[in-house]
Amino acid sequence: MNLTLKIWRQEGPEAKGKMVTYKVSDISKDMSFLEMLDVLNEDLATKGERTVEFDHDCREGICGQCSLVINGQAHGHESHYTTCQTHMRSYKDGDVIFIEPFRAKSFPVIRDLKVDRSSMDKIIQAGGYISSFTGMAPEANSIPIHHEVAESAFDSAACIGCGACVATCKNSSAALFLSAKISHLAKLPQGKVERMERVVWMVNAHDDEGFGSCTNTGACAMVCPQEVDLLDITRMNYEYNRALATVRS
Amino acid sequence: MAYKKGLFKTSVGRKNLMAVTGLFIAFFLIIHLVGNLILIIPDSWFPIEFWGGVESAHDMYNAYSHFLVHFWPITLVAWILYISIITHVIDALLITLNNNKAKGDKYQVTDNSTSTWYSRNMGVLGTVIGLFIFIHMAQFWLKYKVLGTEHDLYELVVTTFKQWWVVLIYEIGIIALGFHLAHGVESAHRSLGAYPKGLMRVIKYIALCFSIVMAVLYAIIPIIIYFK
Ligand code: HEM
Ligand code: FES
Repeated sequence: MNLTLKIWRQEGPEAKGKMVTYKVSDISKDMSFLEMLDVLNEDLATKGERTVEFDHDCREGICGQCSLVINGQAHGHESHYTTCQTHMRSYKDGDVIFIEPFRAKSFPVIRDLKVDRSSMDKIIQAGGYISSFTGMAPEANSIPIHHEVAESAFDSAACIGCGACVATCKNSSAALFLSAKISHLAKLPQGKVERMERVVWMVNAHDDEGFGSCTNTGACAMVCPQEVDLLDITRMNYEYNRALATVRS
Repeated sequence: MAYKKGLFKTSVGRKNLMAVTGLFIAFFLIIHLVGNLILIIPDSWFPIEFWGGVESAHDMYNAYSHFLVHFWPITLVAWILYISIITHVIDALLITLNNNKAKGDKYQVTDNSTSTWYSRNMGVLGTVIGLFIFIHMAQFWLKYKVLGTEHDLYELVVTTFKQWWVVLIYEIGIIALGFHLAHGVESAHRSLGAYPKGLMRVIKYIALCFSIVMAVLYAIIPIIIYFK
């Protein structure tokens, strides 16, 4: 199929960017979205032009590196897919596709479609861990955990940190990402030790990194490739209020 | 480490204030509605034994409003209400300003299918409600309670609602209120951390029913009076 692509091009963090129109032809419907961009880049390279920069790594939906806002939706309109797992069979011949970087103050554009998402790492560094002894793996049954609790914690832990929630949020809030880690650890016995401090530190870090405040529109959970539940945000609010109510400064 | 940034200073903490004040205002709406439903009790229901054999909606409404002005717990609740409204508005402004700062450049294309229009436009709906409250207070509260220029409240309300444009303004305000509540009541519970899945499912349902019932009952009052 033949497509028209309107892609955000920007030389560097300080440069002014603009949408540029490209045509790609003979795209197979079996290609992934990123492979379609590879075809475009081969074309550009052959013509001696600068290729379009975009983030990617695993290309199998697990690393969270790929991004892109496609026709106004983070990771494209197929819900709960990463861009790398989106295939061209979702598009038809003659389609015009708008491709833009994830946008938020805390996600500055590095070049073209690549943005700097290290602000999310800072949130994790502030408390998204547990303290325990290193060494041999502990005996698997030494801490019994109810199956449903384990499953629920795993659903929260499934976050791949792609930032689609921030890109989609009208407030550029990272609440879904933040709360996935807080819920994951709050649900498990291993997370109980730092439960109070963690939520306060991480919320403070979230704000210091310049993310906005959640207003529960729920758009984040609709685009999340890992289907992290909006209830994780509610759980985080509970954890936060609990921490403030019980801990002395 | 600055551990406690204060209950109302962080992105999460600030929502508590929004939620508590919002829910208090919503609670007030119930009491306010019950009182004003007296206005549309059909004549055929009178006299009402339960209310000491009251003869008409006119007498009943005026007796009720007299009670409101002269019963001190009501005065206390009214003051909490005024403070709640002002706090709610100021907090909304602070949150919105901060969120606007967090935003990056605008997208060329936005697909809004992932959320409801009213959840995205709480500020706009709130502003419409705010303007409405302003007009509403100037019409009744100011004349009856503050200036004391009107003594027959029933008469004042009924003559006011005989003007079609007043009815129109009320309908606009009430529709905005319905949508503001439809997102707000659920969101407030989320902000306060009502996280168990079963509980949230129930809250979601009750919040929606509450918004619809409130909006419909408030909406019919001016219309019924206009056509009476
Ligand atoms: C007077 C003008 C008003 C303005 C400017 C206003 C503004 C807002 C805004 C901008 C929000 C969204 C902010 C957020 O979600 O964090 C909000 C939420 C809310 N509003 Fe209002 N509002 C007004 C009146 C009212 C009234 C009359 C009620 C109740 C009947 C109400 C109840 C709520 C509730 C319950 C929330 C949800 C709080 C939350 O999300 O935690 N508001 N309001
Ligand atoms: S490239 Fe790894 S998730 Fe898409």
